Formats: sequence, structure tokens, C-alpha cells
Amino acid sequence: MTLLRVEDVHKSYGDEEVLKGVSFEMDRGDVDVLMGPSGSGKSTMLRCINRLTEIDSGGIWLDGTPVYDPETDVNELRQDVGMVFQDFNLFAHLTALENITLGLKRVLGVPEAEATERAADHLAQVGLAAQADSYPAELSGGQQQRVGIARALAMEPKLMLFDEPTSALDPELVGEVVEVMRDLAERGMTMLVVSHEMGFARSAADDIHFLDSGRIVESGPPEQLFQRPEHDRTSEFLTGLQSNGH
Amino acid sequence: MLQAGDWAFVLDNFDYLLTGAAVTVGLTLTSLLLGFLLGFPAGAVEVYGEGIAQRIVSVSGVVLRGTPIVVIMLVLFFVVSISKSAFVTATVGLGLRSAAYQSQIFRGALQSVDEGQMEAARAVGMSRFEAIRHVVVPQALRRSMPGFQNEFTIVLKDTSIAFAIGLAELLTRGYDLFTQSGRSTAVLEVFVAISAVYFVLTFGTNRALDRLSEYYAIPSGESS
Repeated sequence: MTLLRVEDVHKSYGDEEVLKGVSFEMDRGDVDVLMGPSGSGKSTMLRCINRLTEIDSGGIWLDGTPVYDPETDVNELRQDVGMVFQDFNLFAHLTALENITLGLKRVLGVPEAEATERAADHLAQVGLAAQADSYPAELSGGQQQRVGIARALAMEPKLMLFDEPTSALDPELVGEVVEVMRDLAERGMTMLVVSHEMGFARSAADDIHFLDSGRIVESGPPEQLFQRPEHDRTSEFLTGLQSNGH
Repeated sequence: MLQAGDWAFVLDNFDYLLTGAAVTVGLTLTSLLLGFLLGFPAGAVEVYGEGIAQRIVSVSGVVLRGTPIVVIMLVLFFVVSISKSAFVTATVGLGLRSAAYQSQIFRGALQSVDEGQMEAARAVGMSRFEAIRHVVVPQALRRSMPGFQNEFTIVLKDTSIAFAIGLAELLTRGYDLFTQSGRSTAVLEVFVAISAVYFVLTFGTNRALDRLSEYYAIPSGESS
């Protein structure tokens, strides 16, 4: 059953058209990865889904709800879409636990005690039960990103968006975040991931969409895309990635 | 220059000066409070507002910051006559000017909070207002402390300008002392004494505000 439908999305910043008609669909439980050179529009595409960036034309539907319909409440919509950021963006003045309870309390209206309990569960799931009272600046990058994932998951979203979740991390910290993501994929979460983590893509992705200059050049399961890419642009890019040790 | 008899005179009248110091402290607090109540929202309007509201706030700030405080106070007291009370007038004058400066402190602090904080708050479904209130403002207030400490010191010392409208604060009372007949030789002693009081007040409150900043500082894990 289709959870996310993206249809002919166009987006420009000034004179520069960043998305030139992107379309794809995801079923519930799918894990899709967006890959492509920097500036190809991957992050913009992701941000258009929860309207952190607004599209110029086309349409996006989440679980049947038209994301860009004037009747759609953007704050309600965003409760269904979790987002994990490249730079973590944890609330700097709040502890790991409070980072999670804030949304529960303010957005979902969960009472304090229950919010604390649920947040503690989510922290435990990402292996950070002991760090509940730590502030973001006291945590490693990998720990911060895991809190970021727990914060998004706590809202019980239908879809999780990951915007280059490991690219700001030191190489030795990438593994712990990828492991949490893989675990999430196995538990059936629908995930759209902008990442060049070949390991994650190969083992967890259902489909990979290769974007170049604002268009999806090629889509397919990892085996197909990695081993028999149809487009020169795709194989060039993948060869470049592999030689960089990804 | 400094003479024992004049020191004795200052010491004998120290109670009189301290009553003035109490007025100085009171005026500082009311002015800063008015400045905060107007300045904080004004800073927020400058950052998040649009259109006419933002224009009005920013023009008022420019006018207030561009007018000498003595002029503001004299105009309020003698031209506009907003109140017969010199204390109330001085509070309004110092408060308005402080609001104009505090708005800039808060504007800078609000703008210094990373854009990603707002995005993360919006992404979990908070409204813009909730995101500002629960995520941006708590961080901005902490960052505004050093600027606010400066403003505190400036307002405290500028309460002496209420001298111009005859408010019996510390400076006015000092002036009263040495203008008594036969006491003009005590000018230096009086000024040394009231300067010492101003210094103790600014130094003491700054240390207290340092403590407050430390207490509310966001742990970074690097200082311990």
C-alpha cells in the first residue's frame, strides 16, 4: 500500500532549478535511499516532504493526505514525518531525555510522567539509557545522532526522513548510527534516507534512487543499481564513491 | 585637597547618601524592568515580525538610541510632563532608552541561535510560536546575559542623570552636601564617596549576574 507518493515535483531557488520533475512512490515498510552528487537535489527533495522547503509545482501525498493542500495542517502533517538531520540539531539547552519529551508534551499533549517514561524507552532502544541526563554538548556525535533518531521516533511517525545522518560523523562513529537505522528498517519502519553509506544501502534498502541535476536518473534495488547500472552517470558516481572508501 | 574635616563631614552624612543610593538602586531596577518588558518583545519583533509592526519598532529604537538620555529625560519631565513624580519620569526615560538597547541585545541573541534549532522544532510539529518560545528563546536568553550585564551597569550609572530633573538619588544628594554653605571644600571627598558607592553597586551586581550566568549555563562537558 502506497504511503508516500511524490509526483513531478519542481523546485527552484531563484534562477536555479534544483528539482526538475521528481516522481517516486514508497509502500509502507519500504526503505529507499536517495543518492547522487552534491547539489543534485537530494536534501531539497527530502525537505519538501515535510514542507521545511516548499515545492513550486507537482504534488506530494502522505498516506493519502495531500501535503500541499491548503486544508492540510502542516503541524499535524509533520507529526507523521520524523526527520533526522545531518547536524543532529538537538535542542542545545535540553538533556537527551528532555529533547524527546518536549515534542511529546507540547505537540502531542502527553502528560509529564508518561512523556518521561516513553522518552526513556526510546533512549533505551537506541542504547542511550545511561545518557538520559546528558546535554547534547556532552555527547559524542554518534550519540547525538542516536538521540536525534529517538526524538523523531518518539512522535510515532509513519515515515522517517534521514538527511545525510552520518556525513557529519567521524568515521569510527558511523557504525553505531547505521546499526540503529538498520534495526529500525528491520522493525518495518518506512524510511527515506539521503546517504552515501553503501553498506546501509546494500543491506537495508529496497530501492535506490539515483539523482543527478534535479532528476531521478535511475531507480532500482541495490543489486541492480550497484552491479548493473544502466546509466553512465550512475556508474561513474558509484565508482567514485567506492574509490573513496565508502 | 583631601582633608580630615571634610571626610568627617562625609561620614556624618553617609546615611543621607545611602538613602540616595537606595533611590538609585530602585530606579535602576524599575528602569531595567520596563526596559526588559518593552525591549524583549521589541527584539523579537525585529527578528520575527514583518511589515508595519517591525518598521515601527525599529524606527522607535533608532530614535531612542540616537537621542541623549538627558534630552529624553528633560523632554519627558518639562515638555511632555508625563508625571509630576521625578522618579516615575526617570523610570520612563531610562526604561525607554534601555528598551531600545535591550531590544538589540535580544535581537542579536535570537539571531545567534542556529537555524537548525528552529527547523528541528518545526519538524516535530511545533508551531513557529512554540518553537520560538520553547527552543529559541531559552537559548537566546542565556546568550544575552553578557550584553544584559553591560546594560545593567550602564543604566545603574545613568540613573545619575535624573539629577537633571531633581530626583534625590545618589548624585543629587552628594551635590546637595557640598553645596551647603561652607562645605565647598568637601567636593572631592563627596565625589570619592559616591563613586565608591557606585563602584560597589556595579561590581557587586556584576558578580551576582556572573553567578546567575554560570548557574544557567548549558553544560558543554569541556569545563569539568
